[in-house]
Amino acid sequence: MVDSRIGRVELRIPNRPEWVAVARLTISAVANRLPFSVEDIEDLKLAIAEACTTVIQAGEGEGTIDIVCETDLNELRIHVRDTRPGSADVFQERSEASGIEGLGVFLIQALMDEVRHTADPRAGTELVMIKRVGS
Amino acid sequence: MSASPGEERWDRRRTRDAFSRLAAARDVDARAHERVRDELVVAHLNLVRYLAVKFANRGEALEDLIQVGTLGLIKAIDRFDAERGVEFTTYATPTIVGEIKRYFRDKGWAVKVPRRLQELNLAVNRAIEKLAVELGHSPTVAELAQQLGASEEEILEAQELGQAYNLLSLDTEVSGDGDKGAQTLADYIGKHDPQLLNLEDRANLEKAFDVLTRRERIILFLRFYESVSQTEIAKRLNVSQMHVSRLQQKALEKLRTALLER
Repeated sequence: MVDSRIGRVELRIPNRPEWVAVARLTISAVANRLPFSVEDIEDLKLAIAEACTTVIQAGEGEGTIDIVCETDLNELRIHVRDTRPGSADVFQERSEASGIEGLGVFLIQALMDEVRHTADPRAGTELVMIKRVGS
Repeated sequence: MSASPGEERWDRRRTRDAFSRLAAARDVDARAHERVRDELVVAHLNLVRYLAVKFANRGEALEDLIQVGTLGLIKAIDRFDAERGVEFTTYATPTIVGEIKRYFRDKGWAVKVPRRLQELNLAVNRAIEKLAVELGHSPTVAELAQQLGASEEEILEAQELGQAYNLLSLDTEVSGDGDKGAQTLADYIGKHDPQLLNLEDRANLEKAFDVLTRRERIILFLRFYESVSQTEIAKRLNVSQMHVSRLQQKALEKLRTALLER
């Protein structure tokens, strides 16, 4: 039997601010499958909100944010993808922007154990963040 | 995003310039060093505020978070090395966040929040009943949030998670002895021991017996401990049954008064 902690959840939300709460709630429910502390879960919610906000602020035009959560025995991997075609690496762009708007990515890095972002002209920008239990 | 009033705007060039002045003054001109350091702190207070606000929903006052965040900022300014080619905000963010998170850990925050959620869960359940009566319909999440002064997200989360922190079936086997009489959680549930609950009453009653005469004690003992009839007691004491009845009543009255006086 597959361990009850292992699973994969996919979520697609409109890239509008009012949908960020749905992502936060989903992440907290998924994270609760693993023995994360409440503080860890709050950090994960903050991180997903920052990731979504970064995507929303960076882009123009309607689109979706695709979120994939993969839970493993003791880690949670969250993929956040900006699906707008041809989008450059919004996370890279934002982190280079001066001023406070660009801080989201650094805040995520401060909260997660591992963060990386990639840009693919067809698939869009993707941010992957990993949080391990008890780290 | 514009800086709030009272906080200076900063930009990369000004920051870089300030850090080179800071480095120049270090170990040379203590007062100039302090002045530039203050300037840098003030210029980045809105960075601290921006980060502190992100943690403001975790049960600590925003002012306190800004205060510890500012400590983090000062540490970052003192340790920052402009030569490394990293932007100061990039460098300072994890330091400030680290300081804020340490504050929560020191305050034992991890223990506090589940209780908050559970309290909110109880409050939500009470509010649902109350609002259902007042509104004449099952309340919406928005109505609950307004009633309880919480966000809609908190309401949803309290409902979903507040009640489900590690829910286990009572039939969950806890001792894996295989088929040989495995114990379940239900087997470990305690119950009130009636004898234990009576202990205090017994002790009080024993004390109260001191107020009785020897004869009264004998009557009560025979009547209530040995279940001897009043007629039989009357025979043994060589008095009338009516007299036994009166003595018994008087004795019980004295006991009652003595117990109530405690």
